[in-house]
This record gives sequence, C-alpha cells and structure tokens, in this order.
Amino acid sequence: MKQIDTPQSEAQAIEAVASALAERTPLRITGGGTRAGLGRPVAAARGLSAAKLSGITLYEPAEMVIGAKAGTPLAEIEATLAEKGQRLPFEPMDHRAILGSTGTPTIGAVAAGNISGPRRVMAGAARDALIGVRYVNGRAEAIKNGGRVMKNVTGLDLVKFQAGAYGTLGFLTEVTFRVVPRAEQEAVLVIEGLDDARAIAAMSTALTSPYEMTGTAHLPADVAGGAARTLFRLEGFADSVSYRTRALRHMLAGFGKAETLASDVGSKAFADLRDAKPLAAEGGAIWRLSVKPSLAAQTVAQIRAQRAARVFYDWGGGLIWLATGIESEAGAGVIRAAAKAAKGYATLQRAPEEVRVTVPPFEPEAPALAALTKRIKTAADPAGIFNPGLMFAGV
Amino acid sequence: MSAIAFPTPDSEILARRDALIAGLAALVPADALITSEDERRAFETDAFTAYRRMPLAVVLPRTTEEVAKVLAYCHHAKVPVIPRGAGTSLAGGAIPQEDAVVIGLSRLNRVLDIDFPNRIAHVQAGVTNLSITNAVSAEGYFFAPDPSSQLACTIGGNIGMNSGGAHCLKYGVTTNNILGVTLVLVDGTVVEIGGDAMDAPGYDYLGLVCGSEGQLGIITEAKVRILRAAEGARPVLFGFETSEQAGSAVAAIIGAGIIPVAMEFMDKPAIEICEAFAHAGYPLDVDALLIIEVEGSDEEMDAALARIVAIAKQHGVKTVKESKSAIETAAIWKGRKSAFGATGRVADYICMDGTIPTGQLPFVLRRIDEIVKGYGLRVANVFHAGDGNLHPLVLYNVNDPEEARKAEDAGNDILKLCVEVGGCLTGEHGVGIEKRDLMNHQFNREDLHEQMRIRASFDARWILNPAKVFPLDGRLAGEAA
Amino acid sequence: MQTNFSLAALAVPGMQEAEKILRTCVHCGFCTATCPTYLELGDELDSPRGRIYLIKSMFEQNAPASEEVATHIDRCLTCLSCMTTCPSGVDYMHLIDKARVHVEETYWRPWHQRLPRYLLAQLLPYPRRFAALLPFARMARPLAPLMAKIPKIGQTLAAMLTLAPKEAPPKATFKGPALLIPKGVKRGRVALLGGCAQKALAPNINDAAVRVLALLGYEVVLPRGEGCCGALVQHMGDESTAREQARKLVNAIWDEHEEAELEAVIITASGCGTSIKDYGHLLAGDQAYAARAATVAGLAKDISEFLADKDLAAKIPTGQVVAYHSACSMQHGQKITEAPKTILKKLGFVVRDVPEGHICCGSAGTYNMLQPEISGRLRARKTKNIARLRPHMVATGNLGCISQISLGFDERGEKTPVVHTVELVEWALGGEKPKALVGIRSL
Repeated sequence: MKQIDTPQSEAQAIEAVASALAERTPLRITGGGTRAGLGRPVAAARGLSAAKLSGITLYEPAEMVIGAKAGTPLAEIEATLAEKGQRLPFEPMDHRAILGSTGTPTIGAVAAGNISGPRRVMAGAARDALIGVRYVNGRAEAIKNGGRVMKNVTGLDLVKFQAGAYGTLGFLTEVTFRVVPRAEQEAVLVIEGLDDARAIAAMSTALTSPYEMTGTAHLPADVAGGAARTLFRLEGFADSVSYRTRALRHMLAGFGKAETLASDVGSKAFADLRDAKPLAAEGGAIWRLSVKPSLAAQTVAQIRAQRAARVFYDWGGGLIWLATGIESEAGAGVIRAAAKAAKGYATLQRAPEEVRVTVPPFEPEAPALAALTKRIKTAADPAGIFNPGLMFAGV
Repeated sequence: MSAIAFPTPDSEILARRDALIAGLAALVPADALITSEDERRAFETDAFTAYRRMPLAVVLPRTTEEVAKVLAYCHHAKVPVIPRGAGTSLAGGAIPQEDAVVIGLSRLNRVLDIDFPNRIAHVQAGVTNLSITNAVSAEGYFFAPDPSSQLACTIGGNIGMNSGGAHCLKYGVTTNNILGVTLVLVDGTVVEIGGDAMDAPGYDYLGLVCGSEGQLGIITEAKVRILRAAEGARPVLFGFETSEQAGSAVAAIIGAGIIPVAMEFMDKPAIEICEAFAHAGYPLDVDALLIIEVEGSDEEMDAALARIVAIAKQHGVKTVKESKSAIETAAIWKGRKSAFGATGRVADYICMDGTIPTGQLPFVLRRIDEIVKGYGLRVANVFHAGDGNLHPLVLYNVNDPEEARKAEDAGNDILKLCVEVGGCLTGEHGVGIEKRDLMNHQFNREDLHEQMRIRASFDARWILNPAKVFPLDGRLAGEAA
Repeated sequence: MQTNFSLAALAVPGMQEAEKILRTCVHCGFCTATCPTYLELGDELDSPRGRIYLIKSMFEQNAPASEEVATHIDRCLTCLSCMTTCPSGVDYMHLIDKARVHVEETYWRPWHQRLPRYLLAQLLPYPRRFAALLPFARMARPLAPLMAKIPKIGQTLAAMLTLAPKEAPPKATFKGPALLIPKGVKRGRVALLGGCAQKALAPNINDAAVRVLALLGYEVVLPRGEGCCGALVQHMGDESTAREQARKLVNAIWDEHEEAELEAVIITASGCGTSIKDYGHLLAGDQAYAARAATVAGLAKDISEFLADKDLAAKIPTGQVVAYHSACSMQHGQKITEAPKTILKKLGFVVRDVPEGHICCGSAGTYNMLQPEISGRLRARKTKNIARLRPHMVATGNLGCISQISLGFDERGEKTPVVHTVELVEWALGGEKPKALVGIRSL
C-alpha cells in the first residue's frame, strides 16, 4: 500500500475519504491490525486506519453505557470498565491467537466484525450491545445512528447494520456500547468423558434450565488433551452462584459428576475458548460454523466422514470451531453442505490468502439477498471504495 | 387535530380503484378482501386515533403466498401498501392513506413449531406477543419482550417497531430475541433471514428489519428465542415521597451492580389511575412508585431484595411492599401494563415514548411537568426507569380542537427535550406518523438521507408504509424507481 | 376516542349514553385478543374494537344499519369477554344492546334470518309452548344432518333441532308457583327463579337447587307469573319486549318480596342472572318501575354466589376431577369467578381451570342456532381445551353451556358428562346423583 491515512479526528477522516472518493481509490480500512486476515483479500491502493482515533468519549457507569473512538484499544475500554466493576456483556474474542497477528485489538473492529465470545449464548452478540455509531459514509459525510440510550427505535437501525459489515458500508469513527456489571463471582463446572452427542444434550439441559448459563462449551478428547471436557459457567452474586452451582450439578447428575474448577483454571478455560486457542496451534484452515445446536454433533460427524477435522463446540453447540487442512478448498464444499444441513452457516476464519481468494470466507447469500446486498452497498458506498470485496466479490 | 400531514392521495390510483379491487379479488378468496365503506372504516386508524384515513381496500391474507401475490400486484400497480398487525400502534404506524391497500396479518395467527432443546418458537407474524409465552409457559418458558400491549399486539408488529417492554432491562428488546424472519420483499419475493443458528454472516438484515416499521417488506413468519423462566419472580413496590428520590435510587441500584428484571416508575396520577383499575395494592400516599422485579430461587430473590431495599432506604423510601402470591403479582403487572388504557377512564391522552439518559431523570421529569402545565394540561408519568424510556401521558379532551392542538404541541416539546438531553424520540413505539416531522431534530440531513437510501434499496418506489418515519419533504427515491 | 355526533344524532334517545361509552374507548385493541370471534375469524370487524367502530360511524350519522354492519354485530356472542379485558372500562354491553335495537329498527333482514328469529322469540321464552314442541323436535332430531343441507336456513334449523335433548327431560319435582318450607330451623327466605327454556329442558337443575336450599334451612318461593327475564329477545334487538318481560318478572318478585322480605332472588342460569342484575339500567327510564327494578336487581344472586359462604360438607366420597367451565355470563357478565370453584373445592372435588377459560363455548343464548358455523368452531375449541384436562366431568353454571359442551363431547366421540354446579353440590351433600353421571362407571 502506497499510502495509509491515520486521521485523528472525524474531520480528518472525512477529508481522507473525500480524497479517496475524488480519486476513486479503494481504501483498506484497518484498526489495530489484529484481524486483517479475516475475509477476502482486499485490493486497495490506500489504507485508512482508525488507530489514531482513540479515547473514551463517554462513560456513565450508572447508565451502563460507554462510548469511544473507533481506534481505542479494547484493553483500555476493559480496564476502564473494570475500575467501576463493569464489563462488555459479550466477551469479545481476541483473534491474535488463531491469526498469528500482532498489534492491539480496537473497539471499532469489535463493532465492525460483530466479535463476540462464549457469553454470547446468554448475553447476546456485540451487535446486541452496540447502541450507537458514528461513521463516514461513501459520500464522505459524517453519519450518526443510534445513540447512548438502550431503547431507541428512531429511524432505521443502521447500528446493527454496521456491526458485522467489516467496514464495507462506512468507516466507523466512534462506537457506543451498553455495558453490564462485572459478576461478583464465577464458577465453572466440568463433566469429563462425554461424547459429542451426550455433551450437546448436557449443554442443552443446562441452557434450558433456569440457572442462567453464561457459557457452555465442549472440548472432545483429542482437543482437550486427555478426557473430553464439557464446561458450564455460572456468574453472579456469590450466594446466587453457589446456589445455582448446587442446583445445576444436581440437574446434570445423569450426565456424570460435575466438578467445580478452581477459579483461575475456570477463567482461563473460558478465555482460551473465547480466543479459539484449543485449535490455534493446528496448521491449515479454521472454520467457524454457526448451526442449530441440537444438530451440531451430527454436523461434525458428517464432515469427519469426508475429511479430517478437529473441533470444539461453544454456545451449547450453536458454534463449532473446526480446524482442517487447506486442501480441496479447505473443505468448503463438505463443510458448507454440513452446516446447511444443520440450518446454519460456515465462515472461514483462517486460511492463507490464496485460499481466501477462491473460497468465499463468508457464506454466500441467497440470490435475492445477494442482490439486495449489492444495492445497499451501492447506496452507502456508491464508488465502492470501502474494503471492496472483503465480504463478497463485488460488494 | 390535523397538524400531521398526509401525502396527497394519488388521484390516478383513486381513479383506478375498481380495476385494482378486481385485480385483488382475483388473488384472494372473497372473505379476504374488504371493500365496502362501512367495513373499510374500521381500518382507518390504530391506537393513535387522533388521525384517520380510509384505505382503498383491506386484504386479510391467510398465507405467505397470498401476501406475496398481493404485494407483487400492488408493486406492479404502484399502489401503496400499509402492513397491519393488531393495529395497536400508539404512533400511527398502521394508519393507512386513501390511495393505499392495507394488508392485515391477523389471520396468520398460528404457532408453527416449538423447539425446546434449541429454545426456538416458530410462529406466524399475526401471533400475539403473549400467545407465544402462553404456548410455552406450561413447560416453563417465555418470550422475553413484553410490551404493555402484549395481550393484543402481534410479533410482526413487535419486529416492525422493535418493541421493548418492562422486562427488557435484563432481557433486551425484540431485536435481541429474534433469530429469523420470513420476509416478503416489495416485489413479492420471499426471503428467509436468519433462522435456527445464531449470528448469520453477512449484513445484519435481521437487525435492520427490526424497527423498520414495515418499510422494508412484510414479515409473515418469525423464529424467536424462548427462554427458560427463572424459578420464581417477585415484584416489589417501593413508594417514594419525590420522583427525585426514586430516580436516584434507580441509579444507585444499577451502580451497585444489580440489574433487576424490571424497574418501572409511576407518578402519583398514574398510580391513582392504575390502582383504580387493577386494585393491585399500589401505595396511594406517595408521589412516586417503583415496581422492581427480581427473580430466581427464593433465596436468590431474598438476597437480591435485601440489597435493593438497603439502597432504597438510603434514598428515603417510604413504603416497601412485596408481592406475596401469584395473584398479587398478576395484579401488580396488570395495573402497570394497563396504564395507558386505564387512563382512558380519566381523559383522552397522547402517549409519548422518548428515551433519556437515566441520569437526566429528575431534570426531565421536572421539565415535563413545567411544559405540560405551561399548556394548561395535566400529565401522568409511567415509564421504564431502568433504561430511561419515558411514557408521559398528556391528558386532554380530543373533542376540543384547541386542547388537542395544545396536547400535541406539549408532546412535541417533551420529545425535543428528550433529544436535547442526549436521548431519542422513541424508545419502543416507533416513529410512525406521530414523530415523523420531529426526525429532523434528532438527525441531520445526511443522517436521514443515509437511512432513506438504505430504505430505498428495498423499496425504490416507496410504496411500503410510505407516509411514516421520514419527513415527507426531501425524500430520496431508489435508482430503479 | 374522538366522536363526531351531529346534534340531530345526539337527540336520538339513548345516543347521549352511547356517545359517553364511545368516548371512553381509547382504541387500544386489547379487546381483540380475548374476543372469540376475532380469534376464529381474524377480521377486526369481528372484534369488539371493530364493532365499536362500526357502531360509532352508524350512530354518529344516525344512519341505517347496512347489511355488513348487521352481519358483524350479529356475529357478536355478547360473551362480554371484552369487558373483562378492557382497561378503559368501555360499557360494551350497553353499546351493543343499543346497536342491536338500531339494527332491528333500520335493517330489513332477509327471510332466512327473520324466520328463525321469530320462531325463537315466540318459543323459547314460553315454557309451555316450548315443552309442547319438544317431543316433536326430539322425533325430528335424526333429520338434523339432512336438514342442514337446506340452503341458507338449514344449519340454523338443524341447530335448533339439536337443542332438543335426545331423551325426554325428567319431570320437575318442584313446580311453581309454590312455597316450600324446610323441615328444620328456618334460616331465611329466598325466591328461586324458574327460568324459561331451562324449565322445559332441565328441570333437574332447579330441583337440585331447591333441595340444597331447603337442606340449608331456606324457605324457597317459586314465584307466580314470572316468565322469561327478557335476555333472549334483548339480544335479538327487541328491547321493548325485553322491558315488558322484565316488568312482568319484577312484578312477580315484588309481590313475594312484599309478602315477606326476600333475602335473595336465586338464579341457576347465569345468562338470566346477568340480565336481571342489569334491570336497574334496563328500566331506568320507566318511572313506575325504576326503583323496584333496581331492588330486584340488587336481590339477584347466582346460586354459587349465594352458597359460597355457607357451611358445606361432603357426605359422600368426593375427589373427582372436575373441569370447571365458567360461563361467560358468569365470569364476564356477573364477574363471578371464584365462588363456584370455592364451593366445589370445599366439597372435596379436585377443580381444574380450563385453558383459555375466558373464551366462550359458542352457546351464547340463541347464538348456537343463529350462527351455527362459528358456534361449532368455538364448541370444538372449547371441548378440545377441556379434554386436555382429562376430567371426570365438567361443571358449569349455565344450561346453554351444558348443552353446547355436551354436544361438543358427542362430536368428539367422548363421554365426558357435563353437569350444573348445583347438581354436584346436591350430590355431595348426600342428595341425588346428577342425571348425567348415572351409569358412568368411573364415578
């Protein structure tokens, strides 16, 4: 890339976009650079980085809301919230482990990529907590949508639409999130030795209990390194956690004995899951399958019948992390067919660039939606300058 | 009251009425098409009755296919379409116009499938919010969004307005509890958005459709998240001598890391109105009432309540009364959820729906009182305190045009105030026609154009619920219009 | 809700009250959700809110009722579920009554609607005429399916025939006018309303009531010359005949009340109860009767209401599962919800609430005959909901519901007996076993 603009204000961002627009030069949008390996390779002569748009702009603990410029390091946000006993509800994943990237994850990328972690199963995704955005659109105009209040249906919800759009619809300059109190206590229970299907059933039992699981995942034996481990996390006030721990253990008795992990061990287990670390050391491609939870185990079985793969399950089976070789287009045909059979989708999270050119990392959309996507892209970014082709060819 | 303008009916469409009706009649059974003047009139308004427009015709389809056929026909004929669920909008979201066809979804009222292990209910769009919960409550589940009109309002309408309710402090609003929809696009194409899996990749169409007020397509089915209910739930009444005390107690509770399931506020006029209807045991000797609900096992609720009561005491709570039975709990919520309707016993009202940062509560409540008094009117306040979503009810006499105008002006002043303090025009009722002309206060031209361009990507001709949400002037059409 | 009555329209008798009712409606739509016809038909015009709107337009312009307006008003069951739901307190009952009168005055019905209405109005309120015809109806009953095929009117005629019991009703043990004096200590004096159709179809209900009241020590008066309460014709829009019948009943009760003070007028048909409790309103404009009508209305008590605070103890083994079906006139019309269940529980029955219990069974006076199609759908819906409870029997406080639900179980091919609450009370107190339960092995 010849040139990378690093605006320090919204005005400078508008200038940078305006000049790219005048030249009709595509822009590769970046933040801390830790997630650059996601999506299709972008052919762009110029870069536009949010790295220097930094700083918390609003934090009202009593209103449970935090706003920050897009390039603000995630760590800074988390530290600031922790000081007041709060946190982001959705436990954003750090992609550095699986992508082998360096740099500083930013809050803007969390929004743009709709990046969530294990707590998503109970607390919702990043998009659920994102309540306000400011961005520069493809006409070099500053746009605001949403705001700082949780309940807001004033006009079209472009906040959600920016979440997960990976910068293809605009350059985020500021984001506002709803936050929640940090739990007083956390308990992680583990049942060992369940096969995948039993584990899915156990997780479903826990998720359909009244005990508010804030995470439940399953690591098959090969990935767990020893016996298979099915994890259940409960969070809240200490008295409540201890009550629910007892109740859940009782409820799951039919699946095996649920042991409580030491608190640091439990926390680390979920931090590792969040970042897909159990598969990070694998070579090759990593897929992320979002499926109907009850069909997760058979999905994996279907894939494994056709190619080697190592997996673990999060979100009670709703999310499958899958590592496989890069041959045969990283197994896209087999994996996408299996995901589809499980009423879900497969996203290629890690693969060498040449694979991501031929294999669309994002699940291709149905024709009517794909046509709509193109129209929307044109409406928001008429010159097609933002991250062209990152999500879908021609978008 | 005629301050809110409607587009001039397209005389060319009106002239084609007979042919259009004949065209519609060929698409649906006779009992699904309503054309007589007497019968059409019942569809001229929703729960925002100050405004009314007779539609050209009303269609009550029974299937997604019928919806698609009718929509494709209207699109081809360039006739506006007004989707209607139960017609409970307080913002005029379902009010028609003379040159439009109303498509009512009330006959799509079946629960299609319930999948407990995956916690999904698959329902048709005309199913009421409460009947989703009723369909799963015997097994211990519920659907979380609970707008006050949940008895009657449909899930299609909930998605259209991204409805909230009393319990969204903990469980989120509609957009946070929907997994997928079947959407009929304006040309009749049926698309599935989302489904049984979480986080579909690609643009978040589900998020965009939630709150789009029927302008992007017509929802005919939805897959919604059902949740396992807590072991128990207990609402507690906290009476305060002033609204300020109640407001500061709310902030302190959240500050202490406690998120109750619901925190509802009522001022004195609202308490009196609701108590008279529901006999819920609300204290009548206080100026402000908080209904705070906690849930969990008995021990968990006791512990949570002990924390909350301690905080409330620090903020001068005067009375604390716990629900002691399921019947009491039901009465407490019945009173709160019937607040708007019960107000009808006292006077006509317009119900506002602004949201403000909760820190601004005392200031805004004081200003609302001043504003309404300035117009010589009365106000009753009911709102979701935990999230700052206000529902001031401005009381007036609708048969007195002068008072009606004043009430509308007072309402507008209140909403502008909400925006000024960092909030928004509408938290859960939607913009509809009611707040359409105030959109310029919250958004500048570029913001609105951005939204309109996305909207036009779905409906280049602006035939879907066209008079709503965006100010009538300066609209942007799509490319293929 | 805004109204636009012209001065001329407001001058029409009753219209000022109608306007007042309409003004309390805020058009919130809550009522749609609990309206049986809206649930079945999915058309707002067949919901309270839709009807209120149709009525409003008609009244505002003092316009004659159109065929469409008449159709939607006719489809209203008058179950009054909407009034239980309405947070704004809209007096739908009196509004729809006025609308019905207006329809009758301004709309000329086609013959196939006039004929059955005439027959019903001439038969049902008059027990002797009705009883005389019953044997013939019973004989013709097997022809009902055939008759249903007659265009336009067949279904209604078939439904009328089906109303006739398959077997001859029992002979009444206690016949009015009479004064029945208890054997033991006398605790009070009450009148028992004889009713009209019930007298011919199910005299066993009042027989049971008499025995229960006597057992409790009450002197029971069966008044002379009471006749029908007027509800039947009132729901067909004939308010003047309704008033006439009401006056007659008021006279009958008043005579007894003057002779010796009545503690209550006991009613065993909740449909009649709703109507009599509203006499104060119905005859408010009649100076000669207003005060007496209000007194009679005040004395009126459903049998379950009257028994709720009495000492009742079962003399036979109970514990049977009873699905309690609350008649609309009971729960919505009279707001009696707990009393019947309290009594049955006190006597040891296991009482279960019917899912969707607020929804009408479709009987609704003459509705089952005038709107057989909708009535049939509601009957199926109701019996399906009751069957989910797997009860030994169904108890309810209104004969119309008893016939309707029994028919529903016949249609399902199930033998779940349906009895009047007071029959169960009598049985539990050591009296006769309800006729419907005789021969059922599990009981």
